[in-house]
Amino acid sequence: MLMALFQAPPDTTGYMIAGFAVFFGVMLVYLVSYFVRFKNLRQDLEVLQEIDSEE
Amino acid sequence: MQSKPRFLSILDTVTAILFVVAVAMVFFYAPLERTMGQVQKVFYFHVATAWVGMLGFMVAAVVGVLYLTKNDRKYDIAGLAAIEISLVFFFIAIILGSIWARPVWNTWWTWDPRLTTATIVELIYAAYMMLRQGIEDPDRRARFGAVYAILGFISVPLTFISIRLLRTIHPVVIGNSDPSAEGSFSMTGPMKTTFFYSLFVFSVLFVDLFWHRIRMGKLAAKVEELRLKVSS
Repeated sequence: MLMALFQAPPDTTGYMIAGFAVFFGVMLVYLVSYFVRFKNLRQDLEVLQEIDSEE
Repeated sequence: MQSKPRFLSILDTVTAILFVVAVAMVFFYAPLERTMGQVQKVFYFHVATAWVGMLGFMVAAVVGVLYLTKNDRKYDIAGLAAIEISLVFFFIAIILGSIWARPVWNTWWTWDPRLTTATIVELIYAAYMMLRQGIEDPDRRARFGAVYAILGFISVPLTFISIRLLRTIHPVVIGNSDPSAEGSFSMTGPMKTTFFYSLFVFSVLFVDLFWHRIRMGKLAAKVEELRLKVSS
């Protein structure tokens, strides 16, 4: 009983790193995709406004 | 397109600061859990991402009702924004849960009621994104999206209560776990503070991302409108 109290916690550092890597990795991919889509939409709007004003 | 609102820029900064504090609390304030070790720290973000997922799906159902009653396209834009963000967060929650489960349950995955219902939720909303793409008429698409978001939301409370009603190995954070649950632990004061602070920060993060995504949705609607005008 007393021995269990003094046992060191298991080494699960690798799993923790993997977990946070997944979190930050997926968030990064989502944010990059957001900015790329936003930029493309802005460009599309500019082109369409130009065509619309020409007509 | 209107320039970025000043309050949104302030919200971005506040969210970033709150988020850095949350990460610091997870690593330097919350104590090490004795039986699980470092992997337990994943728990704070696992629950917070699942919470944001469920929150967004609920927002989508609410704006779905608003769209059907008021027939205003802005609610469709908001619904799509909420579902897209929630899909990302719910996906992260499922993966983090799997990573946590490997050393604690000795398996990456098991068809437990919580894991199964969470997967069903993710697939329901992934299908929403795909099916929307197939409808060209904006009004029909918005109506479909609203009805789907309302019906799809039924799966969310089912996922939430699954671990409280059914026999499961998934621990319950707030409330009593099933006796067969594995990986339960009692939270100490600093653990509770970190846990609730993470939930708060992720809620703020959701609001911030939601606002950004709505702005993009409005821009997309404007482009679509202009494209239809030019092509006709």
